[in-house]
Amino acid sequence: MDAMRLIPAIMIVLLACSPSAQAKRAAARDENHVAVSLISEQTALVPGKTAWLGIVLKHQPHWHTYWVNPGDSGLPTKLHWQLPPGFKAGDIAWPAPQRFSAGEVYNFGYAGQVLLPVPVEVAADAKPGSMARLIVEAKWLVCREECIPGKATLKLSLPVASAASPDRRSSKLFAGARAAQPQSAAWSADARLNGDRIDAVLHGTDLPPAAGLDAFTAQMRVLACAPPQVSQDGDTLHLSFAKSEYFAAPPATLELVVVSGTPAQARSITAPFAATPAISSKP
Amino acid sequence: MISRLVTFTTAALLSCVSAAVFASATIGAAAPAFSLTDSNGKPHALADYKGKVVVLEWNNPDCPFVRKHYGSGNMQKQQAEATAAGAVWLTINSGASGKQGDLDGAGANAYIAKVGAKQTAYLLDADGKVGHLFGAKTTPHMFVIDKDGVLRYMGGIDSIASTDADDLAKATQYVPQALAELATGKAVSVPTAQPYGCSVKYGG
Repeated sequence: MDAMRLIPAIMIVLLACSPSAQAKRAAARDENHVAVSLISEQTALVPGKTAWLGIVLKHQPHWHTYWVNPGDSGLPTKLHWQLPPGFKAGDIAWPAPQRFSAGEVYNFGYAGQVLLPVPVEVAADAKPGSMARLIVEAKWLVCREECIPGKATLKLSLPVASAASPDRRSSKLFAGARAAQPQSAAWSADARLNGDRIDAVLHGTDLPPAAGLDAFTAQMRVLACAPPQVSQDGDTLHLSFAKSEYFAAPPATLELVVVSGTPAQARSITAPFAATPAISSKP
Repeated sequence: MISRLVTFTTAALLSCVSAAVFASATIGAAAPAFSLTDSNGKPHALADYKGKVVVLEWNNPDCPFVRKHYGSGNMQKQQAEATAAGAVWLTINSGASGKQGDLDGAGANAYIAKVGAKQTAYLLDADGKVGHLFGAKTTPHMFVIDKDGVLRYMGGIDSIASTDADDLAKATQYVPQALAELATGKAVSVPTAQPYGCSVKYGG
């Protein structure tokens, strides 16, 4: 514990000695392995409308943070907002995750640069011409193989106005985050328990190829984290997952995020879940 | 039909392969037998402790989740209370040589002294065999085995996945809960919970 307490103290000393503000920020970033900032999609907040804000996580090479379901280990990034009266932040609109593996332990999350978008309802009675101060405490766990918890309080002041225009500095990031959102697929699907596995069958005319396909669920204690076995049969994709060792009860539906292609395209699909195994799949 | 058959066969084969990698310990079934050497070179077999409740705790001293529970004293308190009540508490380190948190016997003893740990023994599992046998994925990752050698709890140490000691007061501590229930002849009310923590630093 003493050693842990000492490290921030050393950091502060190092930071105080560094020659410029820029160097200070760079030093903090190196120590944290991820640079975190708060941005807005638009230049102003419009009363009664939804504004999109976002947390940018810029990871050092080989380091990653986590999706809402972190996988076998890790922790999802968490946000705690302090907003003016009448403002309300929604949940993170999680971009589709990447898969990381360390031996047999699998994790879901983000490397490189990622934007976690958050919708914020602007108070209907916010006064145009005033400034609104938006504060978020972000907590994350950043891991390579070893893990380091981090937190930061991020602040942004934006004018309240009757109309807003896109902030050119952030539009590319928000466009990227939109492209990384799972899009609802028009496939039909069902899922069932099959011994110690969970099988999902997807039907559709625009299914992605089985090769290179991966699938995830944000639901905890349903699927094990190893990649699914995937096979294609015409307009049908068969996905077979190991059942979570911590499977508690069959969910009403299996919510899948199916990721394929380069650049990755993510689709979401809800499969009604049958707790009884299919007769045809019994050995 | 053939393609479907091939898929199911492949899935069956693959599930056998993964079973060989990570055996899964099962609640209500006999816990896998194992034997490991502790930080003082003394062997401990699970079979030695028949007739006693055994708690297994996966450990990596440098993991922030482990530090949460040792830094706050939560782990030591649970160890002290469990052993005072007659249980055997075995801390296991499955970190491979050279990985984060890997300790030799002397290192483990220094760690125990530094944090004031109160376990029965600190077992070294550098080849990860016992970790795989139990399907230990995280540090911490907890298991409770009853007096008859049957697995009664596996999963996270408590109900709030975080690295913040501030969360301890609000969290349900699953091991003391399971031990109290076993002591009064009750069924363990929460036999599994999602484990949370750092990944166990297996080799290979």
